[in-house]
Amino acid sequence: MDFKLSAEQQDVQKLAIQIFADQTDNEHLRQFDNNSRYDTKLWSDLGETGILGISIDPVQGGMGFGFETLCLVIEEAGRSMAPAPLIPVLVSAALPLQKFGTEQQQSILGRVATGDCLISTAFAEPLNDDPLTPSTTAERVAGGWQLSGLKHCVPYGAQAEKILVSAQSSEGLVALWLSPDNEGIELTDQQSTSGEAQSHMTLTNVLVNDADIMAIGSDAETAMTYALQRTQAALCAFSVGMTDKMVRLTAGYTAEREQFDVKIATFQAVAHRAADAYIDVECLRLATSEAVSLLDQEKPADDSVKIAKIWCGDVTHRTSQASQHLHGGIGVDRDYPLFRYSLWSKQVELTLGGSAQLLSELGESIAETFLNR
Amino acid sequence: MDITLTPEQQALQLEIREYMKSIMSSAMIEEMKDPEYYEGGGPEYRKGLRKMGQDGWIALSWPKEYGGREATAIEQYIFTEEVMRSGFPYPFLTTEAIGPILAEYGSDEIRETVVKGILQGEVVIAIGYSEPGAGTDLAALKTKAEKNDNGWLINGQKIWTSLANFSDYIWLAARTDSDAVKKHKGLSMFLVPKDNPGFSHTPIWTLGVRTNATYFEDLQLDDKYQIGEVNKGWRLITGQLNRERLSLVNHGPIQILYEDVATWAAETQGKDGQPIISKPWVQTNLAKVKTGLEVLRVMNWKQAWAIEENRLGMEQASVAKVYGTEYFVEVYRLLMEVLGQDATIGGDSPGALLQGRLEHRYRVGSILTFGGGCNEVQRDIISAAGLWMPRAR
Repeated sequence: MDFKLSAEQQDVQKLAIQIFADQTDNEHLRQFDNNSRYDTKLWSDLGETGILGISIDPVQGGMGFGFETLCLVIEEAGRSMAPAPLIPVLVSAALPLQKFGTEQQQSILGRVATGDCLISTAFAEPLNDDPLTPSTTAERVAGGWQLSGLKHCVPYGAQAEKILVSAQSSEGLVALWLSPDNEGIELTDQQSTSGEAQSHMTLTNVLVNDADIMAIGSDAETAMTYALQRTQAALCAFSVGMTDKMVRLTAGYTAEREQFDVKIATFQAVAHRAADAYIDVECLRLATSEAVSLLDQEKPADDSVKIAKIWCGDVTHRTSQASQHLHGGIGVDRDYPLFRYSLWSKQVELTLGGSAQLLSELGESIAETFLNR
Repeated sequence: MDITLTPEQQALQLEIREYMKSIMSSAMIEEMKDPEYYEGGGPEYRKGLRKMGQDGWIALSWPKEYGGREATAIEQYIFTEEVMRSGFPYPFLTTEAIGPILAEYGSDEIRETVVKGILQGEVVIAIGYSEPGAGTDLAALKTKAEKNDNGWLINGQKIWTSLANFSDYIWLAARTDSDAVKKHKGLSMFLVPKDNPGFSHTPIWTLGVRTNATYFEDLQLDDKYQIGEVNKGWRLITGQLNRERLSLVNHGPIQILYEDVATWAAETQGKDGQPIISKPWVQTNLAKVKTGLEVLRVMNWKQAWAIEENRLGMEQASVAKVYGTEYFVEVYRLLMEVLGQDATIGGDSPGALLQGRLEHRYRVGSILTFGGGCNEVQRDIISAAGLWMPRAR
């Protein structure tokens, strides 16, 4: 048992803190609030410093560090609200590609590491965010597969060169890489609550080459689960930074704000609500550390990831509301940075499983365990 | 980061789990059904504790010079977890908090008799801090110790002195300087043998367990029983409270309750002929318990690790205290809901489930949020030390 970060992890963390600190002041962030939350200058800086290649194989020009190290960068992005699509590109798409993709499919990773291209994953369909049970269908045809269906809330779908998609076929699940400019694909922008660029993607008899198929059957289920669990855990890591910063903004503000001739932080009712948020964030941090660490070591983590994401859903919601409440009017003013954290809190809370749904799934898993003892 | 036990730590965990089965004999379990002996004190308890001393377990984390094994903080936590999981009312505060203070500050004679006795499982010590007028505001205590030619003359009353009905000594905080400007200054620590004629006690039957009121009337105490520097007892008191906070929220006892309720729900059929655990609301309750339990476990492990690395932040023990105790209270409710009304049947009655443990535990659990440092005070500590918020006054 060792909770210490390695020296190289600490270096990566320091580097991320520094890059984000330089490019995430409130004035700067404002430019991207209504513009995809994507700062191309920041993204290319992240590429130049090697951050984008942290968990990409050295063969492809990356550094080859593990998922846990990548999550340290993601936590800092959450803390600073950096407008950079780290989770969709580096976690949801690049990690499964590196693990399950063919050599030809993986050749794009070098350009991902330098920041020259974005890739993404389409997990969700309307009323269904489980990539293992899609309604989208795939059928074998001459020279490849034909795909039909509907994906939505695809992060950076309009900017991505390749999008990982799962579909149901007579041979089981199929996981494949789509190029959005393929014939039969129609992308429409969706307005997400956080401002993150998302796309509604209709697929009408889209032809996919055999070369773009990544996995079929149980292999495809493994690959999509791999992508899903790491994305859920990364959302938790993002939330650790995000909620920690919200509590600290709140502590700082209430320590200055005066009403009834005293700093409002000296009211026990205020201090205790902040203390409860502090405890919540610590719980989220611990649950996340465990899930991330297990995934990093490729150990069984099914329950741990669900538990972390349940904490994530609860803590993002509670911390956001407590912070807004304790700030009073200034908190909702878009000239003050808190509103951005609140929007992302709701986005993350409901992405890939809210707490009620995951509690139910975890409960089923517990029942199965004890019934089979 | 690696948040799993090493093979050596796992082996230790299993070794203690197996060992504790021999201590929690059926005779011990039977003895604990008597409310008088629930927290120890009966002949079987004494026998078990002595055996743990002889087998070297009490000295696990102690230095070699005391016959100890110098276990790390993590190993000691594993021991605590397994002992608490077994249900044996082990006197942790005697062995882990007061024992080390006596070893550090006591005379050679105290070390030879009391400390050795603790490590052999012969000596149990009760804590005499709280008074009718000094609870959360502990420094307001009034019990007085005056220096005289024969040592110290002590007068006063303590309350909630748990274990005092069977312990061998009382670890007593008393005021030795009534003129001290700050009230936490001017306090000193004493070890009072139970057979001193100035000592007496009466039982207090609480919602959960038996505790005691204790009385010190013209109690004459030899100098050797005054421990640590005179008028500087506050440091010894607060050092011990932090340890107490951590041992309060150990995840071992909740883990076994959760497993036992889930096992019961899987093995028991409802009136629809299906296992109780197949009901969605039962699954949700168990999932809520497990979600909180995982964090409690990792939180405790991380604090044990931080103690070992000497980097435990001041607010961390308070975070564990508030989170753990409020979670415990919630867990009892979630698990009792699974058992339904049957959960309220006492252990000795027909129809009781899981030996009535939940019926008993929720009653005992009602002290958790205010005992060992009231949770409101812990939240004050968290907002000040964790978030640098200014304090009232």
